Amino acid sequence: MTGATTGATTDGPRLADFARLAWREWRHHPWRHGAAMLAVALGVALASSVHLINQSALAEFSSALRATNGEPDLTLRGEAGELPDTVLDTVALAPGVAVASPVLALDTYARLADGERASVQVLGVDALQIAPLAPDLLPRPAESEDRLATLDPGLVFLNAAARERLGVADGDSVQLQAGTDWVALRVAGWVPAGGTPLVVMDIAAAQQHFGRIGWLSRIDLRLQPGAAPPPWPPGVRAERPQDAEQRVSQLSRAYRVNLTVLALVALFVGAFLVYSVVALSVAQRLPGFALLGVLGMTAAERRRLVLLECAGLGLAGSAIGLAAGASLAAAALRWLAGDLGGGYFPGVTPTLQWSPAGLAGFGALGTLAALVGGWVPAQHARGLQPAQALKGLSSLEAPVVSARPGALLIAAGVALAFAPPLGGLPLAAYASVACLLFGGVALVPAVVGSLLRVLSVPGGALPRLAWRRAHFQRHTATAAVAGVVASLALSVALTVMVTSFRQGVSQWLDAVLPADLYARTAGSSAAAQQAWLTPAFVADAAALPGVQRVSASRVRSLSFAPGRPAVTLIARDIADPAETLPLLEAPLPPVAGETGVYVSEAMVALYDARPGTRLVLPLAGTQGNTSPSVVILGVWRDYARQFGAVTLDAADYRRLTGDTRVNDLALWLAPGAELAAVRDALRALAPDPAMLEFGAAAEIRALSLRIFDRSFAVTRYLQAVAIVVGLVGVAASLSAQVMARRKEFGLLSHLGLTRRQVIALVAGEAAAWLAAGAVIGLALGVAVSAVLVHVVNPQSFHWTMDLVLPWWRLMLLGAAVLAAGVATAALSARHAAGRAAVLSVKEDW
Amino acid sequence: MMVAALAALASGPARSEAIHRGRVLQFPRDHGAHPDTRTEWWYATGFLGTFEAPTHGFQVTFFRSRTGLAEDSRSLSRFVPRQLLFAHAALTDLGARTHHHADRIARWSGDGQATLAVAAVHDAHICIGRWQLRHDNGTWQALIDDPALSLQLTMQRTQPILLQGDAGFSRKGPEERQASHYLSEPQLATTSPLGSGRAWLDHEWSDEILHPQAVGWDWVGFNLADDSALTVFQLRRADGSALWAGGSWRPAGGSVRAFAPDEVTMTPGRLWASGGTGARYPVEWALQTPAGRFTVRSLLDAQELDGRGSTGTVYWEGLSELRDDAGRRVGLGYLELTGYAGRLRL
Repeated sequence: MTGATTGATTDGPRLADFARLAWREWRHHPWRHGAAMLAVALGVALASSVHLINQSALAEFSSALRATNGEPDLTLRGEAGELPDTVLDTVALAPGVAVASPVLALDTYARLADGERASVQVLGVDALQIAPLAPDLLPRPAESEDRLATLDPGLVFLNAAARERLGVADGDSVQLQAGTDWVALRVAGWVPAGGTPLVVMDIAAAQQHFGRIGWLSRIDLRLQPGAAPPPWPPGVRAERPQDAEQRVSQLSRAYRVNLTVLALVALFVGAFLVYSVVALSVAQRLPGFALLGVLGMTAAERRRLVLLECAGLGLAGSAIGLAAGASLAAAALRWLAGDLGGGYFPGVTPTLQWSPAGLAGFGALGTLAALVGGWVPAQHARGLQPAQALKGLSSLEAPVVSARPGALLIAAGVALAFAPPLGGLPLAAYASVACLLFGGVALVPAVVGSLLRVLSVPGGALPRLAWRRAHFQRHTATAAVAGVVASLALSVALTVMVTSFRQGVSQWLDAVLPADLYARTAGSSAAAQQAWLTPAFVADAAALPGVQRVSASRVRSLSFAPGRPAVTLIARDIADPAETLPLLEAPLPPVAGETGVYVSEAMVALYDARPGTRLVLPLAGTQGNTSPSVVILGVWRDYARQFGAVTLDAADYRRLTGDTRVNDLALWLAPGAELAAVRDALRALAPDPAMLEFGAAAEIRALSLRIFDRSFAVTRYLQAVAIVVGLVGVAASLSAQVMARRKEFGLLSHLGLTRRQVIALVAGEAAAWLAAGAVIGLALGVAVSAVLVHVVNPQSFHWTMDLVLPWWRLMLLGAAVLAAGVATAALSARHAAGRAAVLSVKEDW
Repeated sequence: MMVAALAALASGPARSEAIHRGRVLQFPRDHGAHPDTRTEWWYATGFLGTFEAPTHGFQVTFFRSRTGLAEDSRSLSRFVPRQLLFAHAALTDLGARTHHHADRIARWSGDGQATLAVAAVHDAHICIGRWQLRHDNGTWQALIDDPALSLQLTMQRTQPILLQGDAGFSRKGPEERQASHYLSEPQLATTSPLGSGRAWLDHEWSDEILHPQAVGWDWVGFNLADDSALTVFQLRRADGSALWAGGSWRPAGGSVRAFAPDEVTMTPGRLWASGGTGARYPVEWALQTPAGRFTVRSLLDAQELDGRGSTGTVYWEGLSELRDDAGRRVGLGYLELTGYAGRLRL
């Protein structure tokens, strides 16, 4: 059979004809299609806003980085952090090098007018060499200053952020923390570099004031045109400007990818809703399609019509979604930080960066989701037999429901969960989650079948009728409850994951916060280099009344591999590692004559630092010019430092480096001692009270958990949205079914069933399906959560946790979804039956 | 004598006792740097080719300037900016009618063992990166390496050192303290990969050069074809009048005759306007000296050094010819004009 009847022969019906047909359908069921469209829009909005926010934050951070790094051809850094400044002699005279600009970069604190501290970055530069390499860092002396101001050791030049944060102007004095002292310097001008607060001074002054004589952070190079880089001295590595940006991007990549995937979940649920809506719209229009078929529309054209409807739905949804996403992103950037609670871009207030390619991608993804959702119904429209459908026979056929595709998908999902990360990202694990969800949804009819087989046929006409129909029409159950299955599964998975993570963090906090009171000199290991305390201070602190014991630790950042974020070194008292560290397993016994260290899980994942193996600590750069080889005795859990941490005994650290400085204090109070009194005494002991930050164990614990909850708040919100979308799916499909079954209802009312009984019938059927959906959703959710906890988290963040199943919460969640589903079903049945009854009377002539 | 650049040091360090009349200059020690003084330069200029048909002009200048910063600091940082070293180099190609210049600047702690930028005290060994100027046993060598130009000059002494002023003590203003120690090496036989020729080297160090009323100066140093040497300079007020003047004449094989301020007149002639900076330079001069009347004419007008993007100084320094009263070319040398691109910042 062909559709070739008229002049439109070769191309068949035109697009406009299809569009007209689709438009009619939408006009008849605006809220149903509107819901599907909104589901797509929601997914696109969430994904695109997350993308825009990430891009904007990254762009802002990169441009700040470019401002402070300049645009050199190459930057030289030490393999182990800092470079000896004698390297400059060799490098500047090396063939091919046109300009070599030395830079000393430090993180420290400036004293504010109110006595508090603000963190600033100090850059020591050579104003005579830096101009061609980093013009934004070239000090601009104020009009009144001498021409040699840029070289004057007593002068500093602040960028706009530093001027604002410190509240200073030209001529004012700033005080910068150097160890336990404040160094007072005069503001003599500005630098144009944007980003975080920046204090630029002469390199000789920076070396002198901060005790870094003999050391550089980096050497920026301009090469002669066309010259190949010469070989560099040992211990020096060269990197291109984009390497630093990549390292910054690396810092937050796993977090950003996880957020994006989370946002795509909404799109995923949207696809199921499109499926529900379109499947039922096709089922309902079967007579229409049959008529069109008889009039000459080919099977392929019927499929095209349905797909076209879906594409329209997807396009419209995507357009709305992109607009909403952009507004959402703009609002989030304005009212929240740019890192969505991840803490990766401190001090950055990005402006919205448009990313046309990314937005187009998400728009396409939204449309694709709609097309995927409409694929099965479109196939159904194609495969229909017009003659039979016209007689109303096709809907009586119960298609054979095969469990095989679903089972295959589930198997693939399980297999993918065991795949290694791709490019440092758990991409296979995400694919595994998708396979599990699709497979689970495909198994709905099979599960309905077995569930109803297990239950005996109930007594009473009405329940029996519902039972029979639920069983017989179970192939349509997929459409009705697919959204519920998907959204429940995701909610369960997120609930389990967050619960497991929170419990892990909570237990970890207990282990790492054994003392009563904590004091630290700096908030970051980079600033800890410039803000420290002396051993004498520790001894004085231990002698304070009310203090039973003090444990001091030294914090440093170490660079283990170029291009990777720094690892934190913590030197502290480790009398009994099993007691003082949250070890995963019992530690190996110490080896005589060897220095033992304990590493965090990330060290194992990133540097293969397994217990029993050796590790070279790149300690060169400060006191003690050594890179000792140490033995790894154990692995501890660390939820604070995603890029790795190494702990060793303070005595070993002092022996290896001669460094006696201290950054953090843990204090155990004597029984009956007053915490506030000890804190005040300690503050009085400090060179300046502002140089110490305090936290009671309970406060730190509560604060950490509060931060944890805040950063996972977005997942709760997503769960709620997913469930609502799922319920809309139930409502849409059930009311459509009720419409489609108006003849049956007409017949039933002739047989004496009241309207209330008809509604109960529909609700009963829905309850059967929803129960199956809830069972599948719960099971799937637990499976997905296992993938999230045991695969996605270790692969993304290099930490592990135990799977914790909050059974009562999950049951409650399932029951709530079931109850909401049945209520929705009853409501939509009532709504639809009202009109169906009228129609059924009309048709029942 | 020359340049403005350095005079641009406002908060100068304490005066050294190094500049005074009657000081006997000793060589090679006094070819070396005098880091205690505020300003010092070694200035090599010259031409390649013959007196009749020169092909190139060149200028290589190394400056040292005591910053007065971190003087009493005991900082061990190798970057302590106690001294600044900078250098200008220019090459005039008379065939192609082009003028290229480049510069370098670096800090120097005063440590004689430094390798990146250093000015030795025992003899003239000055380097900034790969650029260097050194003296050994009557031979000066200059090495300049830049994408814009590259020079390798060997300049051999052919005459005794010429001590300017009173045995090397040269007054620069109405007051005795406005003075420098100033010596010249005229008629240096020069070879380079571009050809051979004649050069002139000045070495001058001082604590105070510019009188408060002076806005700049004009200077010429000519190697005459008959082996004589002529130096003339004046320090200008804002209205163009001379605040101070001087110079010297040394006939071939003869002894030096220093000029008193009232014995010298420099009269500007034709003006050339720089398209880049807008400054207008008199590139022709009439000279009246005890050695005779001469005219000076630049061999290429566009010989301005625009250092606004680097060391910040703008001046004109170019190969010129010296004509006698009869209008015959009698010598080649360099004309230096400072303080025309706005008043020098002091």
